[in-house]
Amino acid sequence: MLASNHGLLHDGGPQRHDWDAIRTALKRYLRGRGARHDVAEDVAQETLARLLELSRSQQIGSVFALAFRIADNALVDMSRRNGRLAAEMEDDVRSEEPSLNRILDSRRAMEVFDRCLRRMPALRREVLVRRRVEQESCRAIGEALDMSTKAVEKHITRGMTDLRRALDQAGIDLAGED
Amino acid sequence: MGHEPHSIDWQAAQWLGRMSRPVLDSDAAAAFDRWILENPRHVESYARMAAMWQSEGLGLALAEPGGAPRPSNDDFDGDGDEPAAPRTWRPRVLQAGAALCLLLFACVLGPRLLVEEAEFATGHGQIRTVTLGDGSTIRMDGETRIAARITPWSRHVALKRGEAFFDVAHERLRGFTVDAGGASVSVLGTAFDIDRMDARTRVIQVYRGLVSVDAGAGRQWRLPAGSGLELSGERVRSLRGVEGDRPGWTQGWFEANDTPVAQLVQRLNRASPRKVVLADPALGELLVTGRFQTGDAQGVLDAVAAIHDLHWRRTADRYVLER
Repeated sequence: MLASNHGLLHDGGPQRHDWDAIRTALKRYLRGRGARHDVAEDVAQETLARLLELSRSQQIGSVFALAFRIADNALVDMSRRNGRLAAEMEDDVRSEEPSLNRILDSRRAMEVFDRCLRRMPALRREVLVRRRVEQESCRAIGEALDMSTKAVEKHITRGMTDLRRALDQAGIDLAGED
Repeated sequence: MGHEPHSIDWQAAQWLGRMSRPVLDSDAAAAFDRWILENPRHVESYARMAAMWQSEGLGLALAEPGGAPRPSNDDFDGDGDEPAAPRTWRPRVLQAGAALCLLLFACVLGPRLLVEEAEFATGHGQIRTVTLGDGSTIRMDGETRIAARITPWSRHVALKRGEAFFDVAHERLRGFTVDAGGASVSVLGTAFDIDRMDARTRVIQVYRGLVSVDAGAGRQWRLPAGSGLELSGERVRSLRGVEGDRPGWTQGWFEANDTPVAQLVQRLNRASPRKVVLADPALGELLVTGRFQTGDAQGVLDAVAAIHDLHWRRTADRYVLER
């Protein structure tokens, strides 16, 4: 058998979770990520079943962080699968990584991102590129750019909210492609 | 609106930043759960922020500022005539996506791991069946090595060498992926066999359900039950007539179907006490069809010799097949 941590129960016994609240939050989360209504229902249901199973034998740090992680992955799997099913058998299909959100990957959204990024201070843009594209840690970015980790985090938070606002102002609503 | 330090978007962005750190302590975990429950708009804002931050659109815009690169889903107007430039940064962006997953991963797990990880190996002539935590079973042929990683959101096995037959427990949520080095197979619930014949060759045969095979560089196939694929570098051969509910080797048989002798020999060598060698490598290219008992190297050599008018002899420690 696999080396697993099943059965290593925390002293406090199984944790109590408010499953209704988790289900509601999961559906909101999935809709907010742009999942169709029926997909959100489905994924929320499956995610909940898995969480329930896990919570019987394991201590979960943040039930929402785990729930969102499972749901994210299910969305990726689903879009990958759908992409493949659309392709014909025997066909030498040109694959691309599946798109989780067509609206956010559209040319228009990219133009909005692009414009917003160009208006940002160069330093903030640099921080975002290092964090999102190069996957550097905030600490590493701080060391490279000679600023504190806190300052890096603030640039990222500020950059994210700027980008979100740019989308809002451009009227790009990603929730619920139905 | 989003700039006031206490606005919901600001908090969502802060949480997203915190959640992508390698470690999330238990206080922060509890605080995150409280924040999500506090107000329905929190989870909405967080979801939108996460969708935006992880979107390929943003990744591309950041990777190529000012270039207004073409998006991948732009209504299929790029019929293969895409400019060459976007290709160069795409892998970098995809890589970034993968790393992002890893980061999120670490934070969710915390100190108490939700991950099952294990490696299994078989020796010469040994066959072994292992059962994973999700109920899937893997039957390993001789000289085979696999590494399994099962998380609450994914099932992944690396076939590092040899051959294995996978009977995957069906799950709607978690996919099951096998990476055979150069070819990856994804399924939901199905039964299939993968053979890493040699450094270049991968043979995949499907016994139940449907699998997708990805050989990289945009090469993808969908294989229904009863079919298979032989990948050897750039060469691809599709296999038909995959019969029964499991491969013959699990019962000591090898089904050759216009199969190169080299593959048959390789198979014999996983179990045979005496190594089988070819006097001339060209003999390995000859094709054979039939059902061979892999535990009986001499019998198989007799059959192959008869089919192609060859001979074999026995030396101190090996069998030599020659003209």
